[in-house]
Amino acid sequence: MGASIFDRARTLLRDRSGALTRELERVPGGFGLGQVPRRLAPEATASMICGFCSTGCSLDVHMRGGVAVNVSPSTDYPVNRGTACPKGWEALAPLRSPDRATTPLLRNAAGRLVPVDWETALDAFATRMKAILAKHGGESVAFLGTGQMPSEELALLGALGKFGMGLVHGDGNTRQCMATAVVAYKESFGFDAPPYTYRDFEESDVLVFVGANPCIAHPIMWGRVCKNPHRPKILVVDPRRTETAMAATDHFALRPKSDLVLLYAVARVLVERGWIDRAFIEAHTTGFDAFAARVADYPLARAVEATGLPADAIERLAETIHAGRRVSFWWTMGVNQSHEGVNVAQAIIALALMTGNIGRPGTGANSITGQCNAMGSRLFSNTTNLLGGHDFKRVEDRLKVARTLDIDVARIPDRGSLAYDQILEGILAKKIRGLWIVATNTAHSWINQGDAVDILGRLDFLVVQDMYATTETAQQADLVLPAAGWGEKEGTFINSERRIGLIKRVARAPGQALADFYIFKLIAERWGCGEMFRRWSSPEEVFRLLTEVTRGQPCDITGIAGYDVLEEMRGVQWPLPAGTRAEPSDERRLFEDGRFFHSDGRARFCHADPERLPEPTDAEYPFTLLTGRGSSSQWHTLTRTNKSPLLRKLGATDPYVELSPVDASAIGVVPGAHVVVQSRRGQMIARAFVTHAVQPKQVFVPMHFARTNQLTLASFDRRSRQPSYKACAVKVTLLPDGTRPQDG
Amino acid sequence: MTSAVNLEHPAAVTPAGDSAKERRRLPLVEQFLREQATLTAVERFAQLHDAGEPFARKDYYRDLLPASPPAPGQQYAFQVDLDACTGCKACVTACHNLNGLDPGEAWRSVGLLHGGTVTEAVQQSVTTACHHCLDPACMNGCPVGAYEKDPETGIVKHLDDQCIGCQYCTFTCPYDVPKYSASRGIVRKCDMCSERLAVGEAPACVQACPNEAIAITIVDRRQVLEDAQGDAFVPGAPSPGITGPTTVYKTTRALPRNLLPADFYAVRPSHSHTPLVAMLVLTQLSAGAFCVDALAPLVLPPSVSEALDPVHSLVAAAMGLAALGASVFHLGRPIYAFRALIGLRTSWMSREILAFGAFAGLAILYAASFWTGALAHLLGAAPPSPAAALSLREGLRFAVATAGVAGVLCSVLIYHVTRRVWWAAPSTGFKFAMTAAVLGLATAELTLTLARTPPPVSVATGVARVLLLAAATKACGELLALRHLRDKRYSDLRRTAVLLTRDLRGYLVARYGLLAAGAAATAWQLGAPLSLPAATAGLILLLGGELLERTLFFAAMCSPGMPGGPA
Repeated sequence: MGASIFDRARTLLRDRSGALTRELERVPGGFGLGQVPRRLAPEATASMICGFCSTGCSLDVHMRGGVAVNVSPSTDYPVNRGTACPKGWEALAPLRSPDRATTPLLRNAAGRLVPVDWETALDAFATRMKAILAKHGGESVAFLGTGQMPSEELALLGALGKFGMGLVHGDGNTRQCMATAVVAYKESFGFDAPPYTYRDFEESDVLVFVGANPCIAHPIMWGRVCKNPHRPKILVVDPRRTETAMAATDHFALRPKSDLVLLYAVARVLVERGWIDRAFIEAHTTGFDAFAARVADYPLARAVEATGLPADAIERLAETIHAGRRVSFWWTMGVNQSHEGVNVAQAIIALALMTGNIGRPGTGANSITGQCNAMGSRLFSNTTNLLGGHDFKRVEDRLKVARTLDIDVARIPDRGSLAYDQILEGILAKKIRGLWIVATNTAHSWINQGDAVDILGRLDFLVVQDMYATTETAQQADLVLPAAGWGEKEGTFINSERRIGLIKRVARAPGQALADFYIFKLIAERWGCGEMFRRWSSPEEVFRLLTEVTRGQPCDITGIAGYDVLEEMRGVQWPLPAGTRAEPSDERRLFEDGRFFHSDGRARFCHADPERLPEPTDAEYPFTLLTGRGSSSQWHTLTRTNKSPLLRKLGATDPYVELSPVDASAIGVVPGAHVVVQSRRGQMIARAFVTHAVQPKQVFVPMHFARTNQLTLASFDRRSRQPSYKACAVKVTLLPDGTRPQDG
Repeated sequence: MTSAVNLEHPAAVTPAGDSAKERRRLPLVEQFLREQATLTAVERFAQLHDAGEPFARKDYYRDLLPASPPAPGQQYAFQVDLDACTGCKACVTACHNLNGLDPGEAWRSVGLLHGGTVTEAVQQSVTTACHHCLDPACMNGCPVGAYEKDPETGIVKHLDDQCIGCQYCTFTCPYDVPKYSASRGIVRKCDMCSERLAVGEAPACVQACPNEAIAITIVDRRQVLEDAQGDAFVPGAPSPGITGPTTVYKTTRALPRNLLPADFYAVRPSHSHTPLVAMLVLTQLSAGAFCVDALAPLVLPPSVSEALDPVHSLVAAAMGLAALGASVFHLGRPIYAFRALIGLRTSWMSREILAFGAFAGLAILYAASFWTGALAHLLGAAPPSPAAALSLREGLRFAVATAGVAGVLCSVLIYHVTRRVWWAAPSTGFKFAMTAAVLGLATAELTLTLARTPPPVSVATGVARVLLLAAATKACGELLALRHLRDKRYSDLRRTAVLLTRDLRGYLVARYGLLAAGAAATAWQLGAPLSLPAATAGLILLLGGELLERTLFFAAMCSPGMPGGPA
């Protein structure tokens, strides 16, 4: 005690260890974390799955004083092994935002959203929805869910909507990301089953990425590619020189949407040269001959014409696939969000099947999913499929689900739902008058946004359930229900490699916000169907019900007794039927026995000729607009990532458009100048980022900007109903001098 | 995740409406709200790690750390494998989280280079942090010794509690590394996670990179120096010759010559540093006025210069003190300003503070020397002999002017050593000296009208003529900056010219407007000499013009830095 005056004077002059220094002091954090900031040293940690993308990284949440204070990636999780992307590192920031919805909001007579209590909100929900149903029938109210909620909540929403409230139509934002892969897998494999495990990234000697930019969209998966010890050939098929294209050993910068012709031409080369696995084809597939006959119509010249690639590049692609012993094919939104995405996905599957590149380490035709629980939504949202990957149309499926859930089978509709776009069309046709949107931002993300906003405005009653009342969609709502977010609730996510992982309650929700699970339960009670969901008492109870629903399905997880198993095994990949045991940190792939899920055990070759591009470029609109993720720090409509000051800094917030120097000089645009990007539907003002990363006559705009979807064309894959976000015609003009860019 | 912010939000808005108050809460709503507020899952699933393993991540980066500490002549350095850096920016967020930084704060950033051709497009992301330079410009510039370069590790560490928040290091670092925290009033920067390195843990960014693109390596200082001779550090980065940055950027790619940072054409005005603007202009006014005073006896009859002196020196000293007062507002932690002489050995800022400190003291003495009679009367002491007062005055007259000139020279060098071309000595020296001349003369023009015995009219018109000449010279000299609009290369000076004529056009117009008005008021004096209103207006207008010129001096400066992103 009592430093001498001399010491104090010295400190005044030279201070090495005062309060400011201590603020940044690092101390051993325990829990295997290494050093952490002293202020944030945890008293406990809890690991849980990240709530952004489908990689499904595990994050260690650092707890102090009973609240979550920090996050770092889990070291012992078989997915991410101690790494995370910026969104994961900043996962807590969106929870702390001051603009969280803290109370239900009801639009009053003056047209303003005013705070009300839960009882009033539930009354409004039930009376107004029931009135619409009474007047216009069961098809007049629909719901739109999300790939961002845990399976338990999705299942409760789907069951409540369809079995409890008697709705017919429900869909989710997974329609915008995964529908194409679902249809392609179902038809080809007999079940919606991504066959791979992430270890395949490390075991391939050739990796082919089609319409995928994992460096930005799935950086942790790319990290796995970087750990591949076999010096793999990495081939990227993408119109843009993306980060992944840069990191590849070979980039095929084809014209937008010419991928189907390219893949067929490659298949033809493989067939012609006998570079196929005849034994595998004969033992495990059907339909090869018809496929071979189809691709015979795609000689190199046709592909050169369509893709703009030189013939030798296309041959090189085929040769590299042939030379590989363990070839894996990966696709993402460049394929899924296309007017003929299912065909393209099935062409990729066909390449894997014909070369025998499936069911072995480092192989597979692998769709990388989008959202954290897209896979859970595919199995359990009860929208397109009946719970557990069942079919609404099959009576035995309905009986099985009714029995398992202990409900009257008559409560289960005998037909599927309308797809997202058809629901919106239904609103336009006044068939659908009430809509319940849960955790998605239609008014920003839907294709041809101007129309979408107009359509939502025509509803008699729009309910939006979200963490924020500030989303574009919530601003249009008649009733806003304040939801707890990731980190404030429990449940399970299923990632891209079918790994089921836990999320936990590590933070308190603000104000009156409630987990979606509770909100659904309250609505069930107020609706009068609470009895039906007595057994659905907690997320874990629902999880047990769901495992039971999967019994006998390809996704059978009856072997998972409860959340403790998921915790202990560090996630479990489906399937895990009762009687089998998972090993900790297992990494399992499907089809190792060559048996697929069709009743004959064989995979199908599915194929079709290319379809006309919905909006080809022309003299008036000479550019193809490509959209996609702008940076790894941004997520979709920025509802959450924009809440973090750091993530905002890491991604562009000022709209920009990538423009080729060739076009820039033709239009007279200097780098950094503001231009108008205009389609037949809308326009946006953006700064010109003049770069060779885009080809001439193509422009790229990140999808995160509020106005990007003003431009896009509402066109869809016929079979998957997935919107085609990545190819419409636009023109680019210099913003007239003196016009101030006022909107983004 | 920056602080232990309580996740509890302010109480929710109370629901409106009478029915809400009277309604009985549904028991289920109550129950769910209660359950929602508990964190049972954590209790159930909190991990109990084996206490034996202090750092579970260690296995993943064993190869990313050197096996042994640096030998003499060596130091630690970041090594970035550009081929592996794919722009995910995990390193930035890890730096933020694992160092507990403020919202939005991080000591690492990721930029983008792009170029090539239509068929061979290239883009390259570049992760960057402090380069822990051989000859750190931040450290050399710091007036208070708040930087240390560790002799063994070579890590350049900022001593947060020593910092007074002068932000000079943010000017001297070519790589834009030290960042000012307004809330704390200090700068902070990367220390290569030195406490982690000391116990064999990897820095946050090294731990975090999914692609293992960042490593810690050991470099030979001699090699760094040798490498700095060539201009190749990383494309788009400032020349390594200035500070000897140690970061090793390696790539197997042949990078095209037209590789440019994504923010190359994004030009934005810099901070205008109002207190510094006031401090610079007013010190120059004061020094200029004292120079006029010192030179006056050489060209004016003694009677005139003596009549001028008392008021003139008082005004000049007052302006000088106001300048020093203004400078304090620039500091983040002014109460520690007394540390500012610690850096005398290397810092021009310390030297400037010393020079102007001496200047202020001398100026007060000198101004007081004219009022010794009155002062003595006030103190009840005997007035000093006129001869003694006179000799003291003559001695002080030149000392004050010399100190003022020295101070202004230090000011010039403060900016010159930042190596920013817009701030280079020739143009900065011209501006500062001419500001001193213009405002010193304008002050004299005013104080002439206030002299106890009015000077001859020819003196006033003579001063006005010289003042007009100085103002015209300065106006023309400044305009030369705009010639860089025609530079072929998008050079720093061209950016400055673009800023001056685009973003800062209003300031530029106002600057010349005030200068012209001040010149007009001065010209008026030619016809109506010794007019107090005209002289006052002249000084105020010219002063305003110089303040705007100095605002542009800061705002139109293009900060150098590592490549940025398209944002």
